[in-house]
Amino acid sequence: MALDINAVAQSMGTAFLSSLKNDAPSIKTYAEEEGKKFAQSLAMIEALKIAGKIDEAEAKLHLEIQKNATRTVFLTVRGLGALAVENAINAALSAVRGMVNTALGISLL
Amino acid sequence: MISYVMETRRRGLFLGVIVSVIALLSGCAIQLVSSYDEKTDVAVTALQRKFESFFVKLESLKVPPACGYEKNKSFYDESKVDVSAIQVRAAAVPLNEIVIEQAKSLFENLERLEQLHKLKGETRCLSSDEIQPLRQAFTSSFIAILKLELAKKRGQAK
Repeated sequence: MALDINAVAQSMGTAFLSSLKNDAPSIKTYAEEEGKKFAQSLAMIEALKIAGKIDEAEAKLHLEIQKNATRTVFLTVRGLGALAVENAINAALSAVRGMVNTALGISLL
Repeated sequence: MISYVMETRRRGLFLGVIVSVIALLSGCAIQLVSSYDEKTDVAVTALQRKFESFFVKLESLKVPPACGYEKNKSFYDESKVDVSAIQVRAAAVPLNEIVIEQAKSLFENLERLEQLHKLKGETRCLSSDEIQPLRQAFTSSFIAILKLELAKKRGQAK
């Protein structure tokens, strides 16, 4: 039985997008929530500097700590994104495995 | 001779592509990120607890020299060892580049916190107003590392 390339591509595309759509909202929410927390922290540091409670060197260290922590959060966003892509690819492969096995006439599992 | 070598290479490449497609379709799932590592999970959770205890202690020690760097140096020495252990573990796990970078950022932030504490000298304390954003930054870092680690529990209870 000939493999229907269009059907395979469509099934893979649908499964891929469906999986990505499932994972994307929670990643976005997480990034936004953490972004707000950092903005609040930056405002606190600014207030401390203006009030003279910390000097320039201390303010710089505070800001570097916030910047680095933000970087750690965005690394997680990147990792969650990679996991989402991984899930999507595996979902797409899973969606067409049966179709391909039938077309080839052999079981690859 | 040259055309024979090129033909052999072309056939090898074609065979490699076929084998890769068969491997993909034969139930070998793609993996882009490392597997969940329980030891990293446990170590980072323990370190978060240590940092929180330190911040709570500093908030309660409002008077120098008890709040000063010298009286609290052991926290920095011990935490550097703890973070270093997390870095070594992360480096040993395949596909774990993100956690390696996160552990490096954590170490850098620990060093900056130490520098900040030293700048206070022995006559000033880190105030509660300063500790608040510091606590936020480190908590966010720990949550970030743990969130990714737990997300790696593919198909397992998270």
